[in-house]
Amino acid sequence: MAEIKIDAKCLQCPGPIVQLFNAVKSAQSGDVIVVEATDRGFYKDVQAWCKKTGNELLSLEDGDVIVARVKKA
Amino acid sequence: MKQRLVVIGGVASGTKTAAKAIRENPDLEITVITEEDYISYAGCGLPYYIGNVIRDKKHLTVMNPEKFKEKGITVLLHTRAEKIIPSQKVVKAKDMVTGEEKEFPYDKLVLATGAKPIVPPIPGIELKNVYVLRSVTDAFKIRDAVEKEGIKKAVVVGGGFIGLEVAENLTLRGVKVTLVELLDQILPNFDKEIALLAEKHLKEKGVEVFTSEKALSIEGKDGKATALLTDKRKIDADMVLLSIGVKPDTQLAAGAGIELGIKGAIKVNENMETNIHDIYAVGDCAENINLVTGKPAWFPMGSTANKMGRVAALNLYPKGEKESLEGVLGTTVVKLFDINVAKTGLSEKDAKNAGYNIITVIVPAHDRAHYYPGAKNIITKLIVDKATHRLLGAQIIGEGVVDKPIDIAATVITLKGTVEDMAKLDLAYAPPFSSAMSSTIVAANVARNKLLGKLEGISPLELKDRLSDPELQIIDVREEAEYLVGTIPGARNIPLKEIRQRAGEIDKQRETVVLCKIGLRAYLAYITLKHLGVQKLKILDGGVTAWPFELE
Ligand SMILES: Cc1cc2nc3c(=O)[nH]c(=O)nc-3n(C[C@H](O)[C@H](O)[C@H](O)COP(=O)(O)OP(=O)(O)OC[C@H]3O[C@@H](n4cnc5c(N)ncnc54)[C@H](O)[C@@H]3O)c2cc1C
Repeated sequence: MAEIKIDAKCLQCPGPIVQLFNAVKSAQSGDVIVVEATDRGFYKDVQAWCKKTGNELLSLEDGDVIVARVKKA
Repeated sequence: MKQRLVVIGGVASGTKTAAKAIRENPDLEITVITEEDYISYAGCGLPYYIGNVIRDKKHLTVMNPEKFKEKGITVLLHTRAEKIIPSQKVVKAKDMVTGEEKEFPYDKLVLATGAKPIVPPIPGIELKNVYVLRSVTDAFKIRDAVEKEGIKKAVVVGGGFIGLEVAENLTLRGVKVTLVELLDQILPNFDKEIALLAEKHLKEKGVEVFTSEKALSIEGKDGKATALLTDKRKIDADMVLLSIGVKPDTQLAAGAGIELGIKGAIKVNENMETNIHDIYAVGDCAENINLVTGKPAWFPMGSTANKMGRVAALNLYPKGEKESLEGVLGTTVVKLFDINVAKTGLSEKDAKNAGYNIITVIVPAHDRAHYYPGAKNIITKLIVDKATHRLLGAQIIGEGVVDKPIDIAATVITLKGTVEDMAKLDLAYAPPFSSAMSSTIVAANVARNKLLGKLEGISPLELKDRLSDPELQIIDVREEAEYLVGTIPGARNIPLKEIRQRAGEIDKQRETVVLCKIGLRAYLAYITLKHLGVQKLKILDGGVTAWPFELE
């Protein structure tokens, strides 16, 4: 199972959630996508997005850089 | 004989007046009378002492009578002025400890008696662990209770900035806080959509907030508060803080025949003179002029109190032209957990009440270059006079820096600037500090576009009211991924890049609201759709970012 890294730091609108969405689309089930983002809104967005789409949020770190690990369902 | 100045009240404005007066008139004999045991304390720091952010008592009470003595000022603690006799130019006072009656003859008298908390006339206020917060002594008592009595649950009655600051500080000490507010919003001076955003944040931080709810009584056991009863529920609490507002302390003045003005505050002219010769009033006990409307107003703020003190001091023995304070804007800023909220000038409500025909904008932006680590969001609301394009007011909320942009807005309003003036300001920029187009300038430009008719907006409150209107269609032009995270109830998703091909899905006859995250993509969609013949088109002001209600 692959781990896909996305550097979504310093992105403005539409932001990291769209990058994550596209990465999940082209990934295999079970792949882990790691997103690094600086957009403060991403911290809440990624939680809401995973809940709605059924992908699993393995971990989420807050800070100047937010790091989310998401496993594709 | 030496000229004598007597000042009644020794917190912010009284001590400011005395300190400036002695610098201006080194020969003046100055006596400051205060009924309290502390002088010149940091009233605005009290909530942070309760929160142990300010750890030590002595950091709040840096000054004492000895230090004033060094400056040539006599301070009398626990001495209460009981009567002013203007015809004899004398103040009668009483030592609260010894009971001794004293008389203070004056040549000039400055009233700096401040304000007192309003205590609601409800049963149970005499119980132990029911507090107000005004004086440094109040703060000592509250912190002692938190530390020594193991307070677990507190109710704060009143959602003004003092109540909110205490709610935050108690929460940070592990106390479960419930806030009860009579009005339908917290932060009563702010517009509702901004107050709702603040309320949302408080709730995320674990503060329970009940608005439109009336405190009826406090229940107790063994003389101690145990619960607050409201018109809707019973809230268990081992501490109750009453912070429903303050009123000017002007009994003494009224008794001397000094004229009162708005809200019972002492009427003063722009030189801080009352209607009685040689009697001045400064700080929270005196009224102000609202600089925008030119009408009397009452802004009981530490910042204003200090300015008034300086003006009065300069006018005791004017050397040339008198000093004046033409008015103030009621500029305020408050920190609530991770967000900051600020306001200056008129709110939308105020402006409408004052008869202005206005436009408003709500513009989210970053507080510095979006790519610079630590960049945070702020949302700027501007209130602009349609006829003159003058900025009337501003409110800013967000995790980012708000005090700088609100101070810019305050400056623009003070200098009677327009949004055109504001958009052209040459503001400092480097990535760690700001954006090349700073949030202030972007907001001013959105206002200009609105004034020019380049776009029409709908406020979040108005849209919320019309969500079930079948005439209305709402289009979210963000990417599908963002739409999935959460959108305005009922909104359909047509991403901006598909808007041209899919314009047929939009019913041209109906009223249409387009929205995005902050407003930029919605504006681009607006231009395209207008071009394609969609007429009744509006942009949601502030987009999803400033939407203060639930997303779906
Ligand atoms: C918790 C809290 C937080 C605040 N935060 C802010 C803030 O962040 N920013 C801001 O701008 N402002 C803030 N304020 C408001 C600010 O503290 C007041 O505007 C300021 O203290 C006003 O100063 P003053 O000297 O006019 O009046 P006061 O501070 O009210 O002082 C008046 C003094 O006069 C005494 N006195 C009254 N009558 C008599 C009498 N007859 N004889 C003798 N003494 C008398 C009173 O006991 C009192 O000591 C805050 C206030 C509080 C309580």
